[in-house]
Amino acid sequence: MRSFGTAAAMAAAGAIRFALRFLGKGATTLPGKVAIRIAPDFLNEMSRGKNIIMVTGTNGKTTTTHMISEILKKAGYSVGTNVSGANLASGLATVFAEHAPAERAAGRKGIPTAYVLETDEAAFAVTAGRINPKVCVVTNLFRDQLDRFGELLYTRSCIEKGLDATDSKVLLNADDSMIAALRNGRENRVAFFGADEAHMMSNNVTKAAEPATLPSSSDAEYCLKCKVKFEYSARSFGHFGMYRCPSCGDHRQTPDFSAYTEGSTFETGAPLILTGEGARASSSLSIPGAHNVYNAAAAIGACVLFGKEAGDETLTLPFCAEVLSLVRPAFGRMEKIMVGEKSFCILLVKNPVGLDRALTHISEATDVGGVYLLLNSNIADGTDVSWIWDVDFESRKFPDQTYVSGERYAEMLLRLVYSKAVPDTVKSAEMKRSEALFEEALAACPDGKCLYVLPNYTAMLSLRKYLVGRFRLKNYWK
Amino acid sequence: MEQTIRICHMYPDLLNLYGDRGNILALAYRAGLRGIKARVTALSIGEVFEPEQYDIVFFGGGQDAEQNIIRADLVQIKGDAVKTAVNNGNVFLCICGGYQMMGEYYEEFDGTRIDCLHAINIYTIAQKKRLIGNTVYESDLLRAGAAHNCVEPRKLFGFENHSGRTFLGEGVRPLAKVLCGAGNNGEDGTEGAVYRNVYCTYSHGSFLPKNPAMADHLLEKALKQRIGEDFCLEPAECEVENIARTSASTCKRG
Repeated sequence: MRSFGTAAAMAAAGAIRFALRFLGKGATTLPGKVAIRIAPDFLNEMSRGKNIIMVTGTNGKTTTTHMISEILKKAGYSVGTNVSGANLASGLATVFAEHAPAERAAGRKGIPTAYVLETDEAAFAVTAGRINPKVCVVTNLFRDQLDRFGELLYTRSCIEKGLDATDSKVLLNADDSMIAALRNGRENRVAFFGADEAHMMSNNVTKAAEPATLPSSSDAEYCLKCKVKFEYSARSFGHFGMYRCPSCGDHRQTPDFSAYTEGSTFETGAPLILTGEGARASSSLSIPGAHNVYNAAAAIGACVLFGKEAGDETLTLPFCAEVLSLVRPAFGRMEKIMVGEKSFCILLVKNPVGLDRALTHISEATDVGGVYLLLNSNIADGTDVSWIWDVDFESRKFPDQTYVSGERYAEMLLRLVYSKAVPDTVKSAEMKRSEALFEEALAACPDGKCLYVLPNYTAMLSLRKYLVGRFRLKNYWK
Repeated sequence: MEQTIRICHMYPDLLNLYGDRGNILALAYRAGLRGIKARVTALSIGEVFEPEQYDIVFFGGGQDAEQNIIRADLVQIKGDAVKTAVNNGNVFLCICGGYQMMGEYYEEFDGTRIDCLHAINIYTIAQKKRLIGNTVYESDLLRAGAAHNCVEPRKLFGFENHSGRTFLGEGVRPLAKVLCGAGNNGEDGTEGAVYRNVYCTYSHGSFLPKNPAMADHLLEKALKQRIGEDFCLEPAECEVENIARTSASTCKRG
């Protein structure tokens, strides 16, 4: 039985959502904000006794959440999730408020409901205890929004606080030393996901990286306990890999759920092999990129663990693997949109590792018909744009059709020019001309090729808004 | 004969926060405009610092945990050589954590004093509230000079993110005065420090890229030091830097 406050909060949230939708605005946070204001225990009450998975970490939250949601839908659940990326307490509350009618309707038909909640790291600290999910997934820890968090270890302390407020199962990234260290003191409820070990080793032998002019800034080269540099027997990217501290012996844990691709990770549909629970299953990489191999491993791990917690025997590794091959990219994550004979593809780049992955992808892709970078510095983006200097642009090649816009286009232009990797033909425009520049870039993109668009968060939102009208795309909140 | 500028990048695997790497790229880029090649050497834990091998030494900022990792190495292994280099007039650029470590001590929230290098007469006291945001400073040390057509060459644009409050002792002068932001300590209107050829600031990341007059000032100082006082850097344009400077001139603080 819900309290009167929660019922009132639900009514208010419903009314606001209706009004905002009526006005054509995505109601992704305001209803939840009001609901929490009216009933401070809204999240506790709405989540009690429910099937919930929370996903946190600096990168890959949206894609992992999306993959988990798609698997659970196929397994017969009515799924409530924050696809829009509104991942603060207000966004989570909005999901509960919004999905309540569907949950009731599903309940009448005997269909179970599950919630999959992408959660901001700072919000995780204060909501995990209230929501008390069945499974928490921690994707990784890379430098991100340091103007908000100050330092990376503070971000980790937020995640730690959230984990300690629940007794949920915890799925950690085995290849990220900073995340894997969260197992300490929680051993009895922890499982790991990661890259396949043998594959990571052979990859390093066959494709030794060219030494960069100036290596990218790295996040976790040292064992923080011993102040000694980790030794790596293999790496996948960033600080992910087979690390070992020569002093205390702390080392990469064998993942319970792992993944690798046969062939290039840059190709959509490359064969994806998943292992876990002693089983092995074939899938395909429906969203390209080495980071999405990790997201896939995290997603199947979360679903299998959840299945065990919820006593659902459908959620086996082969079942999850099969669904995974059909998952389409989440909002702004490698989403490819065809326009006549050409296409454009949006890759959200909100922090150094995201930009690094996107630039790697563009360097490897064979269909590049232009690159368009957009940089904003609103609160949701992080007001500090100096992170663009942490990324290695120098050893990349940009096409003749390279474009720059966004409120901080001048900083991105400077970054590109200083890298000497971009031709003199680079074009730039202020944010107010960003749509015109998109049209110019798309017109210049040859048929059969793809214009790669790399915006940060609010730049993506505004571009997406324009594209929804221009190409009649689906609104992301529907 | 091709000129080379020899840059020492101190602890790049540990002091690499907030885009500090961009400063090395900027030195290399601005040097390149004059046909001067940059040779960057990374020095980390356990490696010996030989001052005569370098023209410019760069210290960036790191997280507290990472600064704790380097402290012993810096004080015990490289400390004497760094002090020698400072007194010999080597050019240094030290940012945030690197700036603090050059000083006398760093006092933590709980009053614990961490002994620093004693290379310059400054000290830092930590406070809980971090000073974060865009900054604009003005330095009377700078002029357009070789940074040809640089817009408002005395102005320095940056972004600060620090919890330490730094105070300057005798013999050390500020690098600039604060026009927007907190600067050294949020109290006395000063920003950064200059002692001999050591330049310190709280400006992160794109500090030198957006401030070509500062980058050129460091390059010229360093090459004068090696080649002789008569050395002058050839003028080079600041076209793309000026676009970034103009757009940064309205200092928005969140």
